Amino acid sequence: MEPGFTFDQAVAEAGRCLLCHEPPCSKGCPAGTDPGTFIRKFRLRNVTGAIRTIKENNILGGVCGVLCPAARMCEKACSACGIDRPVRIGKIQRFLVEHAREIGFNPFDNPRYMKPLPRREKVAVIGAGPSGLSCAAELAKNGVGVTVFEERDEPGGVLRYGVPSFRFDERFLGHEIDDLKSLGVEFRCSTPLRGRGEVEALLKKEYQAVFIGTGLWEPMRLFDDSGRGEGVFSSIRFLEAFRSGNTGEPANACSGKAVAIVGGGSVAIDCARVARKLGARDVYLVYRRSYEQMPAEEDERREALAEGIHFLLLNQPVGIVRGDGKRLSGLRLVRTQLGGEGASGRRKPVEIPGTEWILDVQTVVEAIGNQAPAGSPDLYPGVTVTGARLIVADAGTGRTSLPGVFAGGDIVRGPATVVEAVADGKAAARAVMAHFELQTPNGGEK
Amino acid sequence: MPNKIIDLSVDFCGVRFLNPFMLSSSPVSNSAEMIARAFEAGWGGVAYKTLVSDRIPIYHPSPRMHGYHYGEKRLIGLQNVEQTTDRGLQPNLRDIAWLKKRYPKHIVMASIMGFSNQEWADLAKASADAGADMLELNFSCPHMTVEGSGAKVGQAFDLVQKFTETVRGVTKLPLVAKMTPNIADMNEPAMAAKRGGADGISAINTVAGISEVGLDDYVPRPNVFGKGAMSGYSGPAIKPIGLKFIAQMAKNPELALPLSGMGGIETWVDALEYLLVGATTVQVTTGIIHYGYRIVEDMIEGLSDYMARRGIARVADLVGKAAGNVHETGEFDVMRQGIATYDLDRCVGCGQCYIVCRDAGGSALSWDAEKRRPNLDDDACLSCMVCSFVCPVTGLISFREMPNSWKRKPTVTLG
Repeated sequence: MEPGFTFDQAVAEAGRCLLCHEPPCSKGCPAGTDPGTFIRKFRLRNVTGAIRTIKENNILGGVCGVLCPAARMCEKACSACGIDRPVRIGKIQRFLVEHAREIGFNPFDNPRYMKPLPRREKVAVIGAGPSGLSCAAELAKNGVGVTVFEERDEPGGVLRYGVPSFRFDERFLGHEIDDLKSLGVEFRCSTPLRGRGEVEALLKKEYQAVFIGTGLWEPMRLFDDSGRGEGVFSSIRFLEAFRSGNTGEPANACSGKAVAIVGGGSVAIDCARVARKLGARDVYLVYRRSYEQMPAEEDERREALAEGIHFLLLNQPVGIVRGDGKRLSGLRLVRTQLGGEGASGRRKPVEIPGTEWILDVQTVVEAIGNQAPAGSPDLYPGVTVTGARLIVADAGTGRTSLPGVFAGGDIVRGPATVVEAVADGKAAARAVMAHFELQTPNGGEK
Repeated sequence: MPNKIIDLSVDFCGVRFLNPFMLSSSPVSNSAEMIARAFEAGWGGVAYKTLVSDRIPIYHPSPRMHGYHYGEKRLIGLQNVEQTTDRGLQPNLRDIAWLKKRYPKHIVMASIMGFSNQEWADLAKASADAGADMLELNFSCPHMTVEGSGAKVGQAFDLVQKFTETVRGVTKLPLVAKMTPNIADMNEPAMAAKRGGADGISAINTVAGISEVGLDDYVPRPNVFGKGAMSGYSGPAIKPIGLKFIAQMAKNPELALPLSGMGGIETWVDALEYLLVGATTVQVTTGIIHYGYRIVEDMIEGLSDYMARRGIARVADLVGKAAGNVHETGEFDVMRQGIATYDLDRCVGCGQCYIVCRDAGGSALSWDAEKRRPNLDDDACLSCMVCSFVCPVTGLISFREMPNSWKRKPTVTLG
């Protein structure tokens, strides 16, 4: 993981803040982060207060400090742009969260923290990713008993199993999970829910509300090669293997070889950088549109280029080429040119007839997006889903078609950022509390 | 065409200096080895670190200093409990002799401090014999560990006169009395020194202060094994105090002695300000503690370019130029009034001006939240100018005089 600021760096960077009136940065965050306040507190040597401002708003404040595309959120609005460049808000935020650990300050274990009165209600949170974790924290802070169900061995979701370790350290995540535990959130890991209606059944048992934040864990595939040989990975399988340290298979597929990554998003960039770190001789990032249309963040794209990744733009993969013994020997491509705008607002790639060619690679990683698993709606048959199996939920509250069931994050939005998932979790928690107030108008305190 | 080097030389108490820039008596002038390097870097003279007799051993508290920082800015102030020299008298005298032999054009002013009348005389004679060009009488160290010395003397004006007389009686060398700022009116001890025979005055020594207190141990800094003290505070933060005292003495026609100014000087601009209010030479320590001897290069170059730009031939022509503009506040023409004026094309929209005008000024600004721009109600502006101090864009907010007919709105009264 990229090193964070030292104390001196954080002080110097905070010194650049113009301490704006009605700080525009504080309006730029989906999760309601208030940099105008926490930087002012830090500047006035109220370091613990600055930490409190971050963590009380967002239990994953450190995570967001590391992973947020701040350049197009809070930092974009920074008034210091008028002087030279924006204050590096994300880095200061991350520093403060790390500094809290260094000085042993926990805002939730402090006389200023008003411990909530425990309530009778319990909520089940399905999935320990960013939306579920933030929803759980928010509910726990309201005195609600929260149980998080997670099918994998550890909480974190995409933070632990998706983002490569050179971008995000799982020890760092562990500290924020500890903060959740200190709020009283109970985790049940290695507890997949599989049966039909099982999510809804939780409502009938001990839980008065359910939040679904299960994310998108089924890779979309380009090639229907069910009988495929070796050499083709989904991004999920590729990154998860790298993440778990069990790099054998991806390493063998990359070391000394030419690798094609298909896709133009952040995950594709992650895969490309992983392939490079695993010793790939050449890594081609194959994208059917051009540089400007790539969904990956600007800094990610630049870093990937700087690391020697070849951007192969305006090429549409159309097939896998296999040689003797079904060994993968190439990726069949057709050159494209940009046509008119498509539904996403981006210009559509149009294949150029007669331009098919073969890129000589031994491994292909498909990073063209993930979707809700095929059977996922069966877990909650009473909840309305879209054709793409995304849950239909109200934008500001996460309410689904089934009273008591809320949802947020990628399973609602489709692919989105961590901070948007955090925003969803928080909003849903507020809606859950409103739901409880309606049911027990005199308050649900035990 | 050859470079025309600007002549920065000055005459101070009848002694010619290559330039007005001196090391002050402090750790930066502790030995000939150090001072030689300073001379090579460009410094025109030195107030050699205060000599004392060998009768009372000098022990320095440890640690000796504490840096006072402001945000990411280092050393806007420096707290110290440094004493006089802790080297023997003889090694110091040999160093002075070596320096004068090696650098005959550079000025060595020996700083001395006696702990008795006789010691003042002995130290003065010994310094003169070693070849010092002039003497600085240290009446001003605010934190001497030896009873009845330093600023204790400087605050007892009869002692200032008496010890100056004593030294005057044993040497013809020019005498410069160094003043403590830890008094109300510096003219009193300066006049006492003059009556005692001093040829010039140097000021200011450090300001007695407490720069910081430990929050864990409750000990003011520096923490000398569990004890703090009110001790000497120096650096950029005290420049206004130094300028005030120099101007105060420069404006005193009875004193009429050449002045050596110090307190917070780091740049040629600081040095020039001291010259303008009346100093002929300037002395530096904390600036060197922060940046090293090299800063003199920028002082020389900066002052030379300034003089060339303004067509000023001699440093002496700058000395005291601003002293005449230092008035009693009662002399101001308060019938003339003005307001702040904004060049909003350069505004970055931070709104700090709005905050401070509302909370500390005339509440003359309104705020356009959509455009993120302040809007000044001219008639409510107090011309306090606090908005311009917090504005991150230099020169965006300036002062403008209003016509005689203009009337300011009265402050809103509630109740």
